[in-house]
Amino acid sequence: MCDFSGKLIAWMDRELPEEEAAAVERHLEACSECRIEVDAFKRVSGEFDAYCDEPMTSNVRQGDPRWVPVVSAVGAVAAVVALFFVWPSTPFQPPAFQPSKAVVVSVSAADTTEGLPARVRPIQKIHRRQVVTPVQIHNTIVAAVQNQDAYVPANEPMIQIAIPADEMFPPGAVPEGIHFAADLTIAADGSAERLRLSPRLAVFERRTTLP
Amino acid sequence: MSGDAANLALPLSRLSTGACEATTLYRELRKPLLRYLVCLGLSSDEAQDVVQDAFLSLHRHLASGGPQENIKGWLFRVAHNQARNRQNRYDRNFSAPGDPELNSVSHDATPERAVLEKEKYRQLGKAILLLSTSERECLLLRATGLRYREIGEVLGIATSTVSDTVDRAIKKLAEKCNV
Repeated sequence: MCDFSGKLIAWMDRELPEEEAAAVERHLEACSECRIEVDAFKRVSGEFDAYCDEPMTSNVRQGDPRWVPVVSAVGAVAAVVALFFVWPSTPFQPPAFQPSKAVVVSVSAADTTEGLPARVRPIQKIHRRQVVTPVQIHNTIVAAVQNQDAYVPANEPMIQIAIPADEMFPPGAVPEGIHFAADLTIAADGSAERLRLSPRLAVFERRTTLP
Repeated sequence: MSGDAANLALPLSRLSTGACEATTLYRELRKPLLRYLVCLGLSSDEAQDVVQDAFLSLHRHLASGGPQENIKGWLFRVAHNQARNRQNRYDRNFSAPGDPELNSVSHDATPERAVLEKEKYRQLGKAILLLSTSERECLLLRATGLRYREIGEVLGIATSTVSDTVDRAIKKLAEKCNV
């Protein structure tokens, strides 16, 4: 066996220091036995990679019987039909707010009591097509918002309003999976004193495990 | 309000840089991570859960100002450890390589060639079973494009040990498969 045999795979993987790699390359020019070995190692390496790819393509829904999609489709149709009959008896409900790509505005309650200033109202006009609903916000975000704002006492109740980010920013300006916690402070004269946005990453929220 | 929105555009782009970086990492590394975990023996759903958890940990890591060098190795280490915690199914795939007819033979192959490819696939599966756990893990991590140093960090072994292990594993496979 050749002395360089132990370095061929590391050389193939570009893991050798420059000098050693150069020595291996010089040797390969002269040694046909090592060239054949390198070819074999490359081949088996490629086959191992292909073998690893196989579970990725066959693992998905491998165990599902063939009748499962049919039953699922029948179930879906039944659900739609049932919904059709039930729908008129229930009052219209506004669509649920989608939490991704949204701005949550927290407004101090003391500043938003009677006589909401005229300068703030355009927020509602701009979003008149959207249903503004209270949002249950994660405690850490509330805490972060409260900590950031020295003007709002931490124990003061807050009103939270969700505004879709698409309404505030041009299309494409907000990266996918980002939503914002916004902190709005209104001065005594009704003017918007300060508005601070903190981006939050929504893309890594835990995926709901499918049954 | 329109004036406020215009003013907000600048800090927004600056503030979201870190989040964008994490999102880019997610897009880049999600598939290699899934592939590694599925090859370790996790089901597709389990692997996706582990990947999600790993990226959540990454997000916390970055948010808490943790070191940012070799994030790829860091992610694989987290995912690897979580996969080890699900040890009960850890070796399933390689202990039962499955039906060699599945996706392994190209559709336009002649019958003779298809038989040969199936046989080669079967031999490779048997040869992989004969590898030690560390040899298999080293090869799997190498197949995802990690450097020896990064593999060492994931598995908690020295770089020189990774080099020796990969060398030994590839040679075993080449010998068993008569390549």
